[in-house]
Amino acid sequence: MASSNLMIGLEIGTSKICVVVGEGRPDGAIKILGVGQTPSRGVRKGEIVDFETAMKCVHEAVVDAEQKSDVMIRSVYVAVAGSHLQSFNNRGCVMLPEDRDEIDEQDIEDVKISAREVSIPAQNAFLHSIIQHYHVEGQDGVLNPIGMLGQKLEADFHIIHGVRTRIQNTIRCVKELPLDVEDVVFGALASAQVVLTPHQKDLGALVIDIGGGTSDYILYADGVVKQSGCLAVGGDHITNDISMGLRIPMARAEKLKIEEGSCVLGNCLPGETILLKDDSGFAGKEIERETLNTIIHLRLQENLELLKRRLEEEPFINYLGAGIFITGGCSLLNGIDHLAQEIFEMPAHVAHAQTASGLTSAVENPQFSTAIGLIKYAQAVQTDRPRRRFGRIFGKLFSGMR
Amino acid sequence: MIQLSKNYSLPERQEGFIPIKIVSIGGAGLNALDRIVLDGLERADVVAINTDVQSLASSVAPHKVQLGRSVTRGLGAGGDPELGYQAAVESADEIREALVDARMIFICTGLGGGTGSGAAPYIAQLAREAGSLVVAFATLPFAFEGKRRGAQARDALARFNEIANAVICFENDQMGDMVAPKAGIHQAFATADSMISQSVRSIVNLIQRPGLIRIGFDDLLAALRSRNGRCLFGFGESDSDNRAHDALAQALKNPLMDRGRMLADAARVLVQVAGGPGMTLSEVEILMQELGRHVNEQTQILFGTAVDGRMGDRLSVTIISSLAADEDSIPEQVYRDQSSMPAMPPVWGQSEGGSLKTDIESEPTPVEGSQPAEAIPIDESAPVDTAPPLTAPVLNKPEPRLITPQPKPARMKEEKPSEKNVQAKQEVLQFEPVTRGRFEKSEPTIVEGEDLDVPTYLRKNIKVK
Repeated sequence: MASSNLMIGLEIGTSKICVVVGEGRPDGAIKILGVGQTPSRGVRKGEIVDFETAMKCVHEAVVDAEQKSDVMIRSVYVAVAGSHLQSFNNRGCVMLPEDRDEIDEQDIEDVKISAREVSIPAQNAFLHSIIQHYHVEGQDGVLNPIGMLGQKLEADFHIIHGVRTRIQNTIRCVKELPLDVEDVVFGALASAQVVLTPHQKDLGALVIDIGGGTSDYILYADGVVKQSGCLAVGGDHITNDISMGLRIPMARAEKLKIEEGSCVLGNCLPGETILLKDDSGFAGKEIERETLNTIIHLRLQENLELLKRRLEEEPFINYLGAGIFITGGCSLLNGIDHLAQEIFEMPAHVAHAQTASGLTSAVENPQFSTAIGLIKYAQAVQTDRPRRRFGRIFGKLFSGMR
Repeated sequence: MIQLSKNYSLPERQEGFIPIKIVSIGGAGLNALDRIVLDGLERADVVAINTDVQSLASSVAPHKVQLGRSVTRGLGAGGDPELGYQAAVESADEIREALVDARMIFICTGLGGGTGSGAAPYIAQLAREAGSLVVAFATLPFAFEGKRRGAQARDALARFNEIANAVICFENDQMGDMVAPKAGIHQAFATADSMISQSVRSIVNLIQRPGLIRIGFDDLLAALRSRNGRCLFGFGESDSDNRAHDALAQALKNPLMDRGRMLADAARVLVQVAGGPGMTLSEVEILMQELGRHVNEQTQILFGTAVDGRMGDRLSVTIISSLAADEDSIPEQVYRDQSSMPAMPPVWGQSEGGSLKTDIESEPTPVEGSQPAEAIPIDESAPVDTAPPLTAPVLNKPEPRLITPQPKPARMKEEKPSEKNVQAKQEVLQFEPVTRGRFEKSEPTIVEGEDLDVPTYLRKNIKVK
């Protein structure tokens, strides 16, 4: 039985591919057994652009994880991202037959299907239908209607959908290895599972996962998902900006960003410079710290402002009691929480996985939030119902295809 | 340094030095003077002048003058320039006595208070009457010291501009930028003092040091010509392996330099490179080449170099220049002066008109005749060097009277004279063919009509370098 508790999260990110092996405890806690990762190639903005290369990288990461955790990996939960992912809230409605007034599981499935009866672009497929609230005979805020009496069952869902073929690409990449794909999960949704506590979800919280290629966000209010999405701008853009602004190679720019970068302006002495060392150790170019920080600041400021404008399209941003939680690799940039605080005018924190034990170095690194979140997500799905609840249709869809 | 000066015995023509006096006035001036003396200064006398006996007593200057024995009775001027002025008038004879026999007088003072704002311009006037060339080093108060002080300082600065041959003005607010935010306030003031000290010493050295290519007072005046403008000053010294580069970088780092950016707009830049006997031609070449990147093509570079045995392995660079004032209240002449400059070789053409005007001014004129003849006879390159005092009065054109000195030079960048601005921008224009860099081959991210793959600073047209 022990092995069935093993769950593996795979995130194919723009900058790195990481595989987290975790174990679910009966008390709901999760323990991280091992983390395998490789720098990612063939992925841009969260989507695979070079299939062969990406597959090789995924394979390396999986092997790495197997070695480190001493576990044979057969099936994984995969996170997806990409600007094609879209979301909306919709209400489904079913009327119970005349001769029955007790709501059962079938009705729940029906109402979910009904909620999906909206027009999404033809090439798109549903990724998640996340339940928000049920309404039974006009009674609001019902959490579990099974067994309740009523003729009319309505349900609000948060629906995330994306371009079918692009999601398939990710799945195929894993299946070619060959590994089984248990489920496909939107990255930010996974991150939120470990970054936020249930209490914070109730209070209302926004999780922004700024990774290498994309900025994924998900907004919780009243304990449920209200808004989510993905903006295809991430750390790569910052690196690219630095590379072009300072005229240095990408690799050097990336290193500079990680080692010296900050998005705080006016915090350095006038004329303070950073000496770039040549590969051979010779003193190379001198770079003004303020210039570097200005480039980073402008990009992140724009990025966060875009997110804010998107979120403001709906009223939920005003219901964030717990504030903003920034995670993902870019959250390691110095001062990003202050910048977010300034832009959103509410408290912002840099967050990493909170509810996991085991490899602390991995748990406390916001770069792994999504992969660890996948395990938490898997655990929630497995314990919640004997079988998976979310993404079920999807799973069928793809298992049928292969 | 001081010890060195006592026992050095190089075959330099000691008697050839121009007699220079450094006169500091008021509390801030005395602080700066102490710093100058402590840092070590050769070939110049120092005089401390103040109304406040206590601060005079604690000064390290060998020669002290107390102002207004009866007006202030040994106390300070209490922040009242009028009182400071009266005190100076009362002690005019003592001051004259102290200033006698100086070819050049450097006045250091902090503007804004009573003695600095009131007495200093008067003393500058006495110095001019005594036939000296006067260079004023003035600090403007920190913004937090209040508007009243700021206004007093600006009035005094305007008077200085009329009287002195050249004014080098330091804004304390800018000095503050140099100091780490966490440093104590004393450090901020100390930085201002050491800035003044550094500039006084480097200018004294500049003039006194026998040069291979000599820089004279005329060059200095020419560099500081666009008056009422912002003075750019940078000094750097290094003895590292890459000393030419390091010294220049250090000089450009000076807060009055704005990291070398300002140089792009200067019409004339004075550069002196000094070093020990080991200084090589290639070092100077490298240094000047690097500097050349910071200045405009049309900029006239007044170059000087000197070899001084006492420099040892060190190499020092002094950069002095000035920009026209950026305030709208500036009469256009200043701009004309600057922009027309590059085209017509030297400035002397204008000096005729200028000196006519100065003739109207009472004090400086009598000096003119005698001054040039004896002031610079020391140097070999006489013809050029004798010119300066003649040109000096040009600076005293009455126009400054209209001007309230520019408070915030930092804003310069946004609205400096047009042509130069264009020139600076062209560098950005290179980018214009929009590039997406790494994302060239991936699907563009277009949000709200903007291609987010293009660096933000390019789209927002923000100059980052």
